[in-house]
Amino acid sequence: MVATTATGELLLQITGMYKDFPGTRALDDVSLEVRSGEIVAVVGHNGSGKSTLVKILAGVYTKDAGEVVFPSSTDEEATELHIVHQDLGLSMPFNTIENLGLVHQSAAGLAPLNKRRERARAIELVSRFGEPFDVTVPVSGLAPAQRSIIGIARALDGWKHSRNIMILDEPTEALAAGEVEVLFDAVKKLAADGAGIIFISHRLDEVLDLADRIVVLRNGQKVADERRETVDHDRLVEFVTGASAHEGEVGRTDLGMSDEVVLEVENLAGADIEDIDLTVRAGEIVGIAGVLGSGREALPALLFGSIPGRADRYQIAGKDYRRRSPRESIRRGMAFVPGDRGKFGSIRPMTARENVTLPELKSVSGAGGAIRVRRERAQVQELVAKYDVKPPRTEQVFSQFSGGNQQKVVFAKWLRNDPKVLLLEEPTQGVDIGAKQALYNAIDAAAAGGAGVIVCSSEAKELVRLCNRVLVMRGGRVAAELSGEDLTETRIVLEGYGLGNEGSL
Amino acid sequence: MKKTEAIATVGLADGKAPSQWGRLFGFQNISAVYLFVAIFIIFAIWVPQTFLKPQTWANLLDTQSLVVLAALAVMVPLVTGVFNLAVGAEISFALMLSTTLQQTAQDQPNLLLALGLPWWAAAIVVLIVAGLVGAFSGLIVTRLKIDSFIATLGVASILAGVMYLVSQNKPLSITLDYKAVTDLYLDLGGFRLKMAVIVLLFIALIVWYILERTIIGRRMYAAGFNPDGARLSGVNVDRLQFWGLVAAGLIAGVVGILAGSKFSGNSTIGGTMLIPALSAVFLGSTQFKGGRFNVWGTVVALYVLAVGVQGLLLVQVPDVLSDFFYGIALIGAVVLSRWGGGRRRFRAVRQATTFTKDGKAALIAEAEEEPSQLHPTETALKQDGIEDQGDRP
Repeated sequence: MVATTATGELLLQITGMYKDFPGTRALDDVSLEVRSGEIVAVVGHNGSGKSTLVKILAGVYTKDAGEVVFPSSTDEEATELHIVHQDLGLSMPFNTIENLGLVHQSAAGLAPLNKRRERARAIELVSRFGEPFDVTVPVSGLAPAQRSIIGIARALDGWKHSRNIMILDEPTEALAAGEVEVLFDAVKKLAADGAGIIFISHRLDEVLDLADRIVVLRNGQKVADERRETVDHDRLVEFVTGASAHEGEVGRTDLGMSDEVVLEVENLAGADIEDIDLTVRAGEIVGIAGVLGSGREALPALLFGSIPGRADRYQIAGKDYRRRSPRESIRRGMAFVPGDRGKFGSIRPMTARENVTLPELKSVSGAGGAIRVRRERAQVQELVAKYDVKPPRTEQVFSQFSGGNQQKVVFAKWLRNDPKVLLLEEPTQGVDIGAKQALYNAIDAAAAGGAGVIVCSSEAKELVRLCNRVLVMRGGRVAAELSGEDLTETRIVLEGYGLGNEGSL
Repeated sequence: MKKTEAIATVGLADGKAPSQWGRLFGFQNISAVYLFVAIFIIFAIWVPQTFLKPQTWANLLDTQSLVVLAALAVMVPLVTGVFNLAVGAEISFALMLSTTLQQTAQDQPNLLLALGLPWWAAAIVVLIVAGLVGAFSGLIVTRLKIDSFIATLGVASILAGVMYLVSQNKPLSITLDYKAVTDLYLDLGGFRLKMAVIVLLFIALIVWYILERTIIGRRMYAAGFNPDGARLSGVNVDRLQFWGLVAAGLIAGVVGILAGSKFSGNSTIGGTMLIPALSAVFLGSTQFKGGRFNVWGTVVALYVLAVGVQGLLLVQVPDVLSDFFYGIALIGAVVLSRWGGGRRRFRAVRQATTFTKDGKAALIAEAEEEPSQLHPTETALKQDGIEDQGDRP
């Protein structure tokens, strides 16, 4: 399993790296070597530990154990670590010169800037990677690939020597196919000059194109460290998904679905989403999967009416619903548990009681909208007990509950009035195992009670556990629909990356 | 997770939690009352002859009641997350309008609005116009999506201009009928409850009831704490902010009418009320309700500050020192409410006093870091590979 590429001197050596987060081991005895002139790809699915690794190297996190050494680093020639983050960290209103100059000022303090020299330098830097472009327009007006080049050029500026480590974190996320090539040429040139490259990606075909060596992480462990020549696509998929381990679990068939359609949508579009047809029956749990940017994250908000959209047909329980807004959606029996509960799912400084009853206060008020606090408290007390919120205090401020219990409060809030359509976005994000199970049970119970449930999740395992049907989104559209035997973690992941046809697992 | 749960549990009631009475009378909950006691003792020793005279206190209660009302006009929209810095201008404008409408055309031939109305008719017109002024601010804030701070400052400036058109800085005298309005009183066994105080109690009760006992009030607080979260819970945030500003305009109108009767045509009176009102609202938010802007906290805070100023006046310091005192009080109140213990307490105020989008985002990000909040790791892990939004551990 250990690579034997000896293209050059060892630049970076990581041995036995551990990182624990409460409840999870994010990195479990991970070792990694990078040599001069080598392009090492680090791949893995969500939660595999790739980002944790980068963040430890970048100094964002501190490691719990392990060693990071730069063996060929000397006083005269210290090995530097240059990182291009996924979001590039460019300042959009500024032009290329300014973005490059933000790191290395040509003039100090109040001394006047030398515009011509800066401009020449900027052009020199960016033209290393192909055609130069206008460096005086704001970065926001440039193509994504050009921005990536600025990000990389910036990371490259000021190298004292060529044998440094460059880490590229998902650099192709925003790029079109042709642009990816430009970037890859640049990266290869860099490696040819003697730099060691760590290339983080989940796009397996790109990895196979570019890398000299491929390291696969899964659940925090290094499961493969292979020369490019020894891996083919299927092998890599196997490494990434750990396919054999989960093959047993398929979508469920035990849901007591009725024929009653609770939600019917035709040709829904809005945000980055297009052309969505969706039919959900009472008692059904439908999953929405897809990588970030696939439209998965925007779909529930679009359905709920909190972001504007249009549809040829939109019916809840057989009734047309045109002018959509959160308020009206709630009135019509929809409930929406947003992914970010601190920002969208709750009013953090308010008590559990006030949070739970906020969407519907009429049933706990008397004439003239006067809230009957005693009745309200009794009702919430019951719900808090039902959903096993700990501590079961209705008067505790929301933000003072733990993550899992906050989510239980949010669930209590939305399940309180037996919604017809329940929209869930990352329902168990950031909750502990115990609470997770309780939340799954609550979702099952809601479906059994006749709700049509839609679960958007980045966790394939969760979707397999919950759903009888999963729609996999890609590029704002539904790319595949999986159910029954086809509904496995592997298939969800593969379809999400658009590898469905090749993944013959 | 177990650990954080334990913290959340222990920290609250099982561990150091004082008894209910202890909490109720704890310094954090009623610091203004303790402050009052301290101020009282100091001046009672320093200038007993004047400070302890009943007349001093009756006067204080009466004159400050208008400022308390101004504070309520600041507080109501602030509960929904909207600043009303136009309150001073609204009061001055209402005052000048009310006074001008009662001038007769013979006395003031140059004034278009010198209609010679009786005071009550003028009052009705003023209330309608004041409501419209509030609605104007409301439209700018909710429709044009201009930050309320800027919007209401702009409206204040516009009102100053309109006020000049209405009154043309003419010296205006008021009728005896109008003057008599604020001299009315209710005799409570020798203690005279003046008109302004009665109006204050009446309005404060209404505001208190709506904010703390009704659906509308609950939604207003929710909108102020977290507009996005409230919207997703079906709260019509814009509508509440709009009507909050209308209500503020109406209250300011009432203050203007009463101030006209009390101080005649003194158009500077509104401007002097803004800073004390803001101070009281923020200091008030630290009282009783732990971090929520609330009526009685505001009322008590304002009177406490006023007692301090009164004491200073009695020891014959120059007048301008009261400005100094209120300025210190405003900053001190916000500091106190930001740092005065309990996340719940200061978050509301920090939310209200953090103006930039980035600042708000930072507040939210910071909130995510609380131990009992989102499990940072799992969030990070979930984003692993596909997303990096700079989440911090």
